Amino acid sequence: MNRRKRTGILINGSTELAEQLAKEIVDKYEVIMIEEPNPGLVMMKMRETSKRSLFYLGEVFVTECKVQINRCLGIGILKGNDPKLAHHLAVIDAAYNAGLIETFKWEEALLLQQQEINRKKQSFSSAVLKTKVNFETMDVQ
Amino acid sequence: MGYVAVKGGTRAIEESIKRLKFERVKKGTVLDVHKIETGMRGLIDQVMSESSLFSEILAAIAIKQAEGNPEEAVFLLRAYRSTLSRKHYSRTISSEDMLTERRISASFKDIPGGQILGATTDYTHRLLDFGLMMESEEEALQWLEGFEEENGQQENVTDLAKLPKVLDYLRKEGLMPECSDDDREPDDVTKKSLEFPSTRSQRLQILTRGQTGALTSLAYAVIRGYGALHPTVGELRVGSLPVCIDNPFNQYNDEDDSYYIGEIKATETEMLIPVTVEKERGKKEIKFEIGYGICLGQNETKAIAMGILDHALQTGNKEYPTGDEEFVLYHIDSVESTGFISHLKMPHYVTFQSKLDSVRKTKKQEAESKEESSLCK
Repeated sequence: MNRRKRTGILINGSTELAEQLAKEIVDKYEVIMIEEPNPGLVMMKMRETSKRSLFYLGEVFVTECKVQINRCLGIGILKGNDPKLAHHLAVIDAAYNAGLIETFKWEEALLLQQQEINRKKQSFSSAVLKTKVNFETMDVQ
Repeated sequence: MGYVAVKGGTRAIEESIKRLKFERVKKGTVLDVHKIETGMRGLIDQVMSESSLFSEILAAIAIKQAEGNPEEAVFLLRAYRSTLSRKHYSRTISSEDMLTERRISASFKDIPGGQILGATTDYTHRLLDFGLMMESEEEALQWLEGFEEENGQQENVTDLAKLPKVLDYLRKEGLMPECSDDDREPDDVTKKSLEFPSTRSQRLQILTRGQTGALTSLAYAVIRGYGALHPTVGELRVGSLPVCIDNPFNQYNDEDDSYYIGEIKATETEMLIPVTVEKERGKKEIKFEIGYGICLGQNETKAIAMGILDHALQTGNKEYPTGDEEFVLYHIDSVESTGFISHLKMPHYVTFQSKLDSVRKTKKQEAESKEESSLCK
């Protein structure tokens, strides 16, 4: 599973999963803290649809953490103020970067979480689509 | 009269700040930040948009501290933002990836994917709901339960994350020229001061962080006659945009290797503006131009106003103040405009005294010359 999909599942899914996966690593390996979870900003670059040019939409407040396992760096970063989750994400990222054997068994749990996210998204869509307008042509007298 | 430098007022200032707190808590009620965040969506979105900083919780704290005054809350957030480091730049965000929760067009009834009203006050009666005075959390939770049951799980044919754009439809139909990606790196007005003529990226950045009221008033002026535009909303969408950053250790900036950091809510509009173009042999033809608007949160009036002003500035008709980029871009920022206007109440003793001196001197000279002329007679 690639990093984009993995981080998406861990951030949008239950925080318990990230906690559980990070715990597996912390209990077994030496995790060196490189950068304590700290606040910062990410500037958002946007493509507008009129001339299709680029501009800056504004910044988003983030929490970022960096750790090292077996000399491999891991980054945990997410929108908002969540030092705990940022740390868990960093540990999981470092575990993948270090190719730790535990990571090979995580695929199933991540895919299950993805299914749960999809279910919630489906439910959200159902509710929103109830507001879709059904036009009826009026009879001309 | 000489000038005298004065100091003092420390105690008065300290007591004034105490009174400010007194005014906030004097009724013995303390607003819960979480309740502000969840119950004041409109104000939160406005403050985030004008601060150019997406964080609901920070906006809620700022609103609490500012006692609901948006200009003060924006000032607080901009000040806090300046203490944080900018860690990354996002990958390019595209509104084609928006998970839409509201999407309408005022130009076309039958748009691909349909008109989705989402949450809007557009069709409410605007009658004050006195029942809200007695609303309890228990009641709200009960209502929520019923709402969720009512919606249930349905098989959706429309994918809200892949709604086609109205503009793409028009481009495909040949009603609007095709447009290829312009990948030039944008300018950043927070890093380098604005210079004229401005670039498109500077204009859009200033407009999107502009004060809602200022943008709305100027856009209204454009339509009323100070710009002669008659725009229609081609498409307005509200939804969540995914934000990702590149892996700093991957030089190829591969999307699959990027970090997803979360999603932000935004409102985007594409305004269609009819323009008459003269063809050969005096033949006239109508074509459509686009005004683009987007802002953080659900701020529909602001996004529409931005689209109108984007087009007015793109056209740059100096006949109207709204076509003058210096006039528009220098006056719509909340912190700059409210900061300047409100600074007028800060002590100006020296500058005012110097003006007073000039007036006294002139009066004295006038009196002396009057006296001299009466003596000559």
